[in-house]
Amino acid sequence: MSLRLWPVASGVAWRTLHNVFTTPSLLMPSVLFPLFFFTAFAGGLSQVGEVPGFDYEGDYTSFQFVFVLLQSAAFGGVFTGFGIARDFEGGFGKRLLLASPNRLGIVLGYAIAALVRWSFTATLLTIIALVARMDVGGGPVDIVGLYALALLVNVSGLLWSAGIAFRFRSIQAGPLMQMPVFLTLFFAPVYVPVDLLSGWIETVAAVNPVTYVLEAGRSLIAGDPAGIALAFAVALAMIAAFAVWGVRGLRRAEAAG
Amino acid sequence: MVNADNSIVVEGLVREFKKGPRAVDGIDLRVEPGEIYGFLGPNGAGKSTTVLMLTTLLPPTDGTAKVAGYDVVHEGPQVRSMIGAALQEAALDNLLTGRDHLRLQTMLQGLPRKERKARGEELLIRVGLTEAADRKVGGYSGGMKRRLDLALALVHRPRVLFLDEPTTGLDPQSRTALWDEVARLAREDGVTVFLTTQYLEEADVLADRVGIIDHGRIVAEGTPAALKAEIGRPSVHAIPERETDRARIASLLAQFGDPLGDGDLAVRLHGGYGLADVVRGVDAEGLALHDVELRAPSLDDVFLAKTGRTLEGAAEAEESAPQPAG
Repeated sequence: MSLRLWPVASGVAWRTLHNVFTTPSLLMPSVLFPLFFFTAFAGGLSQVGEVPGFDYEGDYTSFQFVFVLLQSAAFGGVFTGFGIARDFEGGFGKRLLLASPNRLGIVLGYAIAALVRWSFTATLLTIIALVARMDVGGGPVDIVGLYALALLVNVSGLLWSAGIAFRFRSIQAGPLMQMPVFLTLFFAPVYVPVDLLSGWIETVAAVNPVTYVLEAGRSLIAGDPAGIALAFAVALAMIAAFAVWGVRGLRRAEAAG
Repeated sequence: MVNADNSIVVEGLVREFKKGPRAVDGIDLRVEPGEIYGFLGPNGAGKSTTVLMLTTLLPPTDGTAKVAGYDVVHEGPQVRSMIGAALQEAALDNLLTGRDHLRLQTMLQGLPRKERKARGEELLIRVGLTEAADRKVGGYSGGMKRRLDLALALVHRPRVLFLDEPTTGLDPQSRTALWDEVARLAREDGVTVFLTTQYLEEADVLADRVGIIDHGRIVAEGTPAALKAEIGRPSVHAIPERETDRARIASLLAQFGDPLGDGDLAVRLHGGYGLADVVRGVDAEGLALHDVELRAPSLDDVFLAKTGRTLEGAAEAEESAPQPAG
């Protein structure tokens, strides 16, 4: 099955990115939503950082930046999943299945496209955050670690939504891709550290894998790394699980003809 | 592994849909290297379902099929690297230009980077799309999309080419051009062509051999000439000078052959009779004909003989009911 994996992946990635970067209606949502959330959370809620017990080394802008970075990564994957669903609904998916000696290259190609697409958003978001004088306490290694975590979240988001797209092969499955990701992200400690949560949200956040990735990311940008190994393990576990989900979805699409 | 076999070998191929009929019901066929095989049948007969299975887009329920020497179930990647296919609906991306499509296809098929552009240009010229190459395909006509689809199928110089109703909806000029190109591919490049069609003329003109499929089963197979020879006898079709003579002429014609029905004054001649015998008989009875014509057997006659229906009538009947793919 190693037959022509890379040519197929590069072809699928090229075409997906070509369409995204030449069609504003495809590009803008994945860029504007994170910027909107960042402005609203970091700007409008900045006084939350003054709450007693808000124990965080960095400023509130960096606290929210990490959340929005991970959110943009996850949704960068989901928006690419929308594209997969559109491709199969419109019949182009059949062309890809037919023209691809190695069909795993299709998944890899979409994943590369999702990554490049998110990189564009992440670059813009980072520039705006730095312009807004975000406090960056971490060194280069910490920052690389933060972006590596976000990258893994991006791949997870893509594999999750690809699994849905391959199974339903219709853009009507969009909410099924989007809602679980949205809920998982917002059931993590979005506005305050996990220690300040109480009641049911504290319980949910404690079992939410995104909590560990988010808290580790915040510790990295603040220059006070904590729980890094666990966060990477969680992210890699999500990728492993969603890779199985995504590839099985591809097999379902193949069997459906 | 190198495999120089361009053939298609199918044994007992079945595709059964859930809660549906057997779209393909145990077909056997063999297409030799470099041959153009016409797969003829009405809508819903099982043509497209067969193509989907042979191109690895749909797993068979039962049976085996080898394309270019590779098993379609167990060696799908090898099969896909050997075949080109233009399916019934030309699935193109409206956001890409014709040239973009060729670039994508050359990438997917793993052509070396330095060859991609030249191969794309060569195919654009061959299908006559050079001038439209930089336009988005959303603005292409149906014929242009079909031609682009054919070019995409040829990018990697496939050994076996599947064309699923390639001329449906095309104007006569585009249809003839596509026929010429398909014939050239088989003749000059040695490509094996598996062509589905519901057009008798297309199968007659293009195909070296024809398989006629109805309700998922192959009911006849052979060269067009051999199939028509099997029916053997020509038919006589008459138009009376006076409508009042219609009944007498019908009665007279019945002496020379079997009536063909459909309300026409037409009979399939019995052995030993010719057009001259019919004309002499009409004269002897003092009847007059406005026109009389001797027709050689057609593939529609073959279809009629094998299924009891005309191909056109079968298509209309099939279209009135929901069906699985072709």
